[in-house]
Amino acid sequence: MNAIIKVGNLSFGYTRQDTILKDISFDVNQGRFLAIAGPNGAGKTTLLNLLCGLLRPKAGSIRIDGVPVQSYSVKKLAQKVAVVRQEFVPIFDFTVAEMVSMARTPYLGTFGFESNTDKQIVNEALEATDTAQFALRALGSLSGGERQRVFIARALAANSPILLLDEPTSFLDLKHQVGIYDLLKTAQLNKGKTIVAVTHDINLAAQYCDEILLLGANGNYHIGETKDVLSPEQIERVFGVRTFVGRLGQEKFFIPLGKFAKDSRQIASKPHNIQQE
Amino acid sequence: MKELLTPKKLIVRIALALTVLVVVMFVCSLIGTESVSLKAVFSGAGIQTRANPDYEIFVQFRLPRIILACLVGAALACSGVVFQALLRNPLADPYILGISSGAGLGAIIAVICGLDWVLWGRSPIAVFAFAGALGTVWLVWFIGRLTGKFHVTGLLLAGVVVNAFFSAVIMFLTSIAKSQQVYSTIFWLMGNMAEEDFLVLWIGAGCVVGGIIALFYISPQLNALSFGEADARSMGVNIAGTQIIAFAIAAAITAIAVSLSGLIGFVGLIVPHAARLVFGPDHRQLLPLSGIFGAIFLVVADTLARVIIAPAQLPVGVVTAIVGGPFFLALLVKYSRKVSWLK
Repeated sequence: MNAIIKVGNLSFGYTRQDTILKDISFDVNQGRFLAIAGPNGAGKTTLLNLLCGLLRPKAGSIRIDGVPVQSYSVKKLAQKVAVVRQEFVPIFDFTVAEMVSMARTPYLGTFGFESNTDKQIVNEALEATDTAQFALRALGSLSGGERQRVFIARALAANSPILLLDEPTSFLDLKHQVGIYDLLKTAQLNKGKTIVAVTHDINLAAQYCDEILLLGANGNYHIGETKDVLSPEQIERVFGVRTFVGRLGQEKFFIPLGKFAKDSRQIASKPHNIQQE
Repeated sequence: MKELLTPKKLIVRIALALTVLVVVMFVCSLIGTESVSLKAVFSGAGIQTRANPDYEIFVQFRLPRIILACLVGAALACSGVVFQALLRNPLADPYILGISSGAGLGAIIAVICGLDWVLWGRSPIAVFAFAGALGTVWLVWFIGRLTGKFHVTGLLLAGVVVNAFFSAVIMFLTSIAKSQQVYSTIFWLMGNMAEEDFLVLWIGAGCVVGGIIALFYISPQLNALSFGEADARSMGVNIAGTQIIAFAIAAAITAIAVSLSGLIGFVGLIVPHAARLVFGPDHRQLLPLSGIFGAIFLVVADTLARVIIAPAQLPVGVVTAIVGGPFFLALLVKYSRKVSWLK
């Protein structure tokens, strides 16, 4: 398979002395869904910002489609990579339709207006995310879950092969968390998008993502198929928390155990087969 | 998709707004201490022996002043739009990055030095104010960049501090200056329209209209920038390029406006907001329409300034604040339910 994102010996630090990411190498093949998980401060968002060219590596390289990220013009890179950042409400009241259509900025002609193709792509993105109903509403008037769907609609409207997301489900309730991941999985399966999502939710990652990159706070990392990487030992090593692992058919799920969890030492030991009631 | 702005929609709206502007200019040019007869104006300059006073007043006094008001109004409103977008701050206006105090400082230095010459029909006050305005924006930009590459808060704080510092210098200079000098500076600072000769007007108009067209050209980038630098970059916007071009043009057209008419407050703050409340925040539409509404607003305000205490005249800055304040509050109350950041 062909690696659309190739990271080689990547190191990064915000100052000359400190190193937050150290000698990281991994590939993401086209059409795969990669989760990036790890404790706070491990550099997940930093890695995402490096992948989209917002930060420059201290050492090593990041190649998108075989070309170093830094060699792309801002416009060309935006045509390859769309980013959904942690959500915020913009200062001016753009409507949902206006906002989603801004993803077409790198494709606009001389006079800065959307062509019919642009409009069709925007419409498809609104339909795919079920946000067409809000098209004329101001972004600020929507709920958190609706807003996040709009941001994903904007990323889809960029029509880029790669989608990067920074904690797309934080602040969302269970239904909306699952809804967002359903949406992303659909985009992966139907449109062949390569998706990289930073997440704190290893259960969602286990359910939806093909691969996972576990970034430890000490600079260690582990990447591989989600089902192989996610084990109680690995999670304890990276997060410093013991987990109870259950299995339901094909799906594995993890429950973190705090020090007040009853019999935590016993139940955390081996994967349990949970019977569906 | 009919929700988005189309070129046709934009052209129709601009044409309508321009029609209103022309009508307003026309009506306002007939109002004043001397009533001007339309018929007499159109009968031409008159024969050498029998001068036509109506025509003289219209062409020599009313028309240049109204064109000047259009220019200044359009420049201030458009630059207000740009500063609000770039600083992502609804309180931003054309003067926020130190242009006002820089221009004021330039003006008072020119007065105190007793300079007396004319450059392209401009007094030393205007020339020094122009240089002071641009120099201060450059200084603020430079300090802002020291706080971080695209640090909007740093830029804003630098603007506030430089404004405060220069205001102190202005107060110091006023307190050591002779009272006659102080009066002429203060009167100039209050913002005044005067009859300009056409050469100055055409040069000014060329620069302002050119600047607004250039700003229109980067308006999709301004849209993206209102979501913040990181987000705009992922939408393919060259942040540094857009910011520098937009800041430079907005500062330049503001400096031109200031050197033509002194400091006229409020236009650059309320016209962009009013236009945004009515037509939405899309800069492709907001910029040209704000420009035209800024022109209309200042033409009307200046006409009021000419007639309220006729034959004496009010500084137009007084009128813009007195008329603009309540008008803006009315709009705010009417539309605030639709606008989330007001909630």
